[in-house]
Amino acid sequence: MSDYQSTEKRPSLIHGLLSFILPGLGQMIAGQWARGISLLISVIVLGFLSIWTIAQRARFPDYEVSTRVFILLLLQAGALLVFLIALRYLLGRFFIKDVSGQALTQVGLGIFYVLTLLLVADSLIAAAGSASDISQVFGSTGVLAAGALAAFWFWQASDAARIGADIAVPSMIPAVLIACVLIFVLGWNITKIDLPKAVREYRDTQVILRRIVWPWQSAFEYETQAVEVSAKIQAPCPEGAEGPPANQPQEDEAYIIVTPTCGELTERTLTGSIELGTELSIVGGNFAPGSTVEILWKNPIGNPFRPRGVGETTIQVGPDGSFVTNLNIPSAVIPDTAAGAQIHTLIVRQESAVVFTGNLSREMNLALVGMLETIMLGLMATFFGIILAVPISFLAARNLMSPIVTTLSGVAGGLLLMVPALWLAFIGTNQISGRIGGLEGAPLVTASTAILLVAALGTLGWRTGSWGMRTLGERAPDILSRVVTALVFGILGAALGYGLGTGFSRGILSIPLGPEAAAQLETRTAIAGAILLGTLSLVYAYRQGVHGEISIGIVVYAIVRTLMNIIRSIEPLIWALVGIIWIGPGPFAGTIALTIHTVAALGKLYSESIESIDPGPIEAIQATGANRIQTIMYAVVPQVLPPFISFTIYRWDINVRLSTIIGLVGGGGIGFILIQWIRQFQYEPAGIAVWLITITVAALDYISSEIRERFV
Amino acid sequence: MLQVEHLTKIYPDGTVALRDVNFTVEEGEFLVIIGLSGSGKSTLLRCINRLVEPTEGRILWNGRDITQANQAELRMIRREIGMIFQHFNLVRRSSVMTNVLSGRLGYTPPAWSLVNRYRRADRQRAVQALARVGIPDKAQNRADQLSGGQQQRVGIARALMQEPKMILADEPVASLDPVLAHSILGYLEKINQEDNVTILCSLHFLDLVQRYASKVIGLREGRLVFEGDSEDIRQMSDERFREIYGEEAERLGA
Repeated sequence: MSDYQSTEKRPSLIHGLLSFILPGLGQMIAGQWARGISLLISVIVLGFLSIWTIAQRARFPDYEVSTRVFILLLLQAGALLVFLIALRYLLGRFFIKDVSGQALTQVGLGIFYVLTLLLVADSLIAAAGSASDISQVFGSTGVLAAGALAAFWFWQASDAARIGADIAVPSMIPAVLIACVLIFVLGWNITKIDLPKAVREYRDTQVILRRIVWPWQSAFEYETQAVEVSAKIQAPCPEGAEGPPANQPQEDEAYIIVTPTCGELTERTLTGSIELGTELSIVGGNFAPGSTVEILWKNPIGNPFRPRGVGETTIQVGPDGSFVTNLNIPSAVIPDTAAGAQIHTLIVRQESAVVFTGNLSREMNLALVGMLETIMLGLMATFFGIILAVPISFLAARNLMSPIVTTLSGVAGGLLLMVPALWLAFIGTNQISGRIGGLEGAPLVTASTAILLVAALGTLGWRTGSWGMRTLGERAPDILSRVVTALVFGILGAALGYGLGTGFSRGILSIPLGPEAAAQLETRTAIAGAILLGTLSLVYAYRQGVHGEISIGIVVYAIVRTLMNIIRSIEPLIWALVGIIWIGPGPFAGTIALTIHTVAALGKLYSESIESIDPGPIEAIQATGANRIQTIMYAVVPQVLPPFISFTIYRWDINVRLSTIIGLVGGGGIGFILIQWIRQFQYEPAGIAVWLITITVAALDYISSEIRERFV
Repeated sequence: MLQVEHLTKIYPDGTVALRDVNFTVEEGEFLVIIGLSGSGKSTLLRCINRLVEPTEGRILWNGRDITQANQAELRMIRREIGMIFQHFNLVRRSSVMTNVLSGRLGYTPPAWSLVNRYRRADRQRAVQALARVGIPDKAQNRADQLSGGQQQRVGIARALMQEPKMILADEPVASLDPVLAHSILGYLEKINQEDNVTILCSLHFLDLVQRYASKVIGLREGRLVFEGDSEDIRQMSDERFREIYGEEAERLGA
């Protein structure tokens, strides 16, 4: 019946028109407020996003131009759509009557619209503004975005018309699809996707990529062996001088024979004219066949140099290892004091092939040390993480914490004595550590003393305080412990309020008022906060009374959980920055960063596995008269041990991966070296580092999954 | 002697589990609590050793008020009251020996128990307890390797380790088949008669109730609706039966 009626109803033109003028207006008038407003916001956001995107073409974007161009494109696309809709209407009216044909024309309309847009895109852009305007925007992106927005606009108008006529609320899927297309078009542009570039640049990449993929040559050290043969020559050559004796051919090692062994130096005058020296004939033998040799000249002082302008100095050795060449004796500046005949040396040097020494190269050594540092960094962070996360996870387990209930006065008494006890612990630590050399002299003893004293005295103070208050409540009139409780909470609230007030003035008021004006208000806001919170907690504590129970367990649980969630949601990379600011770059900063994140992550995993244990054994162990620690040891620990081990190994695996990443920002380890090599374009060492990381991670992955399989 | 007076338990979500329950159990009694599931049997048993905190009322045990005991006193009371459970509540990954020894935790200095150290006498006692429930050879097995009936015997051995003056048994045989049920209840009966241990046990099957109970109380929607001995159960009229078990209940087994 209703179906029949809905086909009878005609779309409401007035609602459609209203939405056409202001998107979403028709829907809002028809009572669909949420739909109307979300459509309006969608159109506005998509429109501005498109305008902003296409303006990014220009170096200094001019949003006025891009707005103008985009609106013109939108109008043109709209006109095209009107034309196509009219065409389809006529088709449906006169030619295609059946329902499936109607649906077909709807799909066809969409395809035809997109194709037409693509076909006439250039003319649409040309018509959208002057040439200089168009050069300022991404035209093709503009056309596609405008086309999609126009379609969206028309769709919401027709949606309004149908909603206005109270025809069944249409599906939002077409709108979502159109919006997705628009965002895809814009995203393509914003992320600068350039497929031709990817293909074009690929060839250049190969050279570098090859060096990264197989870098093992630079993992080892090579030596170049040089063969040097020399011949002595006397210059200048006075009459009758014979010079040093000529070399003789050798059986199994390289030799040269130079004739004559006595001659005149080349003379260079200041005018630039050259008088070449005596021509020497050089015959060499037993050199590496096919190699090249180099001729050097060593003057009597002993400095070898490459003679210039007197003949070839780079000689190709023949296939039998011999060569023949000529060279004029070069000029050599001889100090005046050394006038007379001197012995010069002609050297023939052959750089033989590089020799594999089997030693690791400096880069390889660096990479190995870095890798070790990274593994150890992950290990240490996991280790510290476990130590801190295990106790914390018990505080963050709801099932263990929720039964812990205490009275307000107990908390007040506990706090009352715990504060001086902690102060005592602080003094005691200072005293003890002062005698053994302080934090610098004996860090481990100092730290363990501090932890022990704080834990012992703090617990003692808390227990004594709450016991005292309980006894007070039992022996003395109620009003006394009530007042004490109220006072303690009042002071606590006031302190908190003071801190919050100061923070409010420094952090929030200083933004609009500036730091000076805020500093003047600081005392007042702090006191106001102290009075406000102090009074509130005083009144609350007083009204709660002595026996008012509070679930202290749940309070602790909530605080620990919240802190862990905050810490965990901050990336290790950010913690690494904190560590680097705190400690300075290096593996210690990385360890701190990873430890902080590990504690939060493991704490959550641990506490969740505690929460999922079978509560039956806890009940049973409690029923035997066991205290809380015994219950945890006997009913909780055996149940959570396997998941704890499993999570720990999993986390170690993650930590080693993370520590390579943390190295990139300065947290030490191989990442630290890798990023430097990449920045210096040293691709082979970088390749070595990448290989080492890959091998380590894969190995750890395998080992950790093997171990975990055995435990779970 | 256990005296329960005006015991009321209202859970934080508003469920009233027990309303003004009063009854007395003499020493050496085998008291069976009957009632539909949800009638408050488990809550009643757990209020006695304060695994569940009672909202109102007193529980006097040999003159001491359990509800007023502080944590340390409560542990002293609990170690004299053994408890066994429908789902045995053993630590499944630990050995049978460890499970049995854990019954001694209330008597062991906490620091010792952290390193799993027990007195030699306690270890001997554990061996004896296991022998008494007929599984002396299972001491080193892991608890989850045992069958249901064997696990419940470990549960009884754990309770025996406490040298209890009273045992609370919450549906001890509901997860076991009828033959095993008789075997488990037989052990409880033996403990009841030989050691003069008071037993409070919730049960479902009326034939078991008649066979083992020396006294019976019935709970319905948290109220005490029946008090009698096993003879009264045998003679119980259908109307009386419906009072406890509701209109739809059919009489089975009896």
